[in-house]
Amino acid sequence: MNYTDILTSKFEPETTGTTIMAVIYDGGLIIGADSRTSSGQFVADRCADKIDYVHDRIFCLRSGSAADTQAIAKYVRYYIDAHAQELGRLPAVATAANLFRNFLYEYKDSLSAAIIVAGWDPYKGPQIFTLPLGGSVIEQKWSIGGSGSTFIWGFCDSNYKENMTLQEARAFVLHAVAHAMYRDGSSGGIIRLLNVTKDKIEREFIDYKDVPVK
Amino acid sequence: MIFNSEISAQQQHTTSPVVTGGSVIALVYNGGVVIGTDTLCSYGSMAEFKNVEKIAQVSKNTIYVSSGEFSDFQQVVKELAKIDRQALQYDDGVHPSPRDYGNYLARLSYKKRCKINPLYLQNVIAGFHNGERYLALVDIYGTYLESNFVTTGFASYFCKAIISNYWNENCTLEQAKQVIKECFKVLFCRDCRAHDVIQIAYVDEQGTHIEQPERVETKWDFNGFKTRANEKLHTQ
Repeated sequence: MNYTDILTSKFEPETTGTTIMAVIYDGGLIIGADSRTSSGQFVADRCADKIDYVHDRIFCLRSGSAADTQAIAKYVRYYIDAHAQELGRLPAVATAANLFRNFLYEYKDSLSAAIIVAGWDPYKGPQIFTLPLGGSVIEQKWSIGGSGSTFIWGFCDSNYKENMTLQEARAFVLHAVAHAMYRDGSSGGIIRLLNVTKDKIEREFIDYKDVPVK
Repeated sequence: MIFNSEISAQQQHTTSPVVTGGSVIALVYNGGVVIGTDTLCSYGSMAEFKNVEKIAQVSKNTIYVSSGEFSDFQQVVKELAKIDRQALQYDDGVHPSPRDYGNYLARLSYKKRCKINPLYLQNVIAGFHNGERYLALVDIYGTYLESNFVTTGFASYFCKAIISNYWNENCTLEQAKQVIKECFKVLFCRDCRAHDVIQIAYVDEQGTHIEQPERVETKWDFNGFKTRANEKLHTQ
């Protein structure tokens, strides 16, 4: 068996060609993602959930290699669980971001993973950390990622406002992700939204027929 | 600059940067050292992260900035923070001087260079210690150079002339800041990966001062620019 072939990826790796997004609003944050996992041109999973649970109020959005990001998220979920047990209170979002960052930085040569860590903690409220390919950590008020994000920078730059209400932020995320799915072949399917606040987590399933831009 | 070693089942040492910070300009002045950098981190050719504060205060009298791979910059900040923490274990009240940080970074960079796995950075360390100004450049290979002024990236091409003509090592803080701002105006005009919002920090006897980011004013409404039109060339 020719191991070099496998290692030099003659197989198209299964990736989350994707659109992911998180936006802080006045009181919490909204996370949005499409649902398409592609393996080259084939849609491997048409209703994936790219909003991964890390802790009760901490989520991560994955883009890049599905295998890499799932493996890392699994480790971080485990570490954060152990940490929270010992801490006795909710972990800081920055802690989760740093744990992801350590993986992405130390193994930067072997991984293809870009992650958005978004959540709420009692110390600093809602926070979003963008972790691009090399393993940097950049805190932002809103973040978009994945292959579909390239199509919506203009839309997002002109429509983002500080201190939006929940309804404004939800509409912003919904339309942005929809626009990205409209033009990106690697994004599609349904839209999953998640509202993270101090008191609760609210998931929303936007059926294909309700996606605003088709 | 991209180089790979043989692809193997183990680690590949691909060293092309992903998220990069722009030029850094640092000048010595009569009372200390001043550094300027812009607030942009680029993802290849895309200006992805626009409000990044890239000036790190490493100790009470030392600041550190670099251009190149941003994740490596963040890693170096962590490494430098370790030095002071470890020094506390000696419990003798001795803190690393700016030169100690510069030297450590040079050794670290050289070690990684020898393993063909560099910290993809041009590093600038500035400080003020025992009445003396300190400014050093440590490059991607671990080359260590102390001098009175330092530029990285495109600034090395465009700004050295401006610095030679308008700055001297005994100028005032305001004069030095003005030279830095002029340099960033030129960079914004001529460097694709530059941004016109810059941040300036200085170290003097009192310690480190990191200022808020500010936009530099560039002039675009020259008559020649406005009246220039291709139809003029091709019609009567």
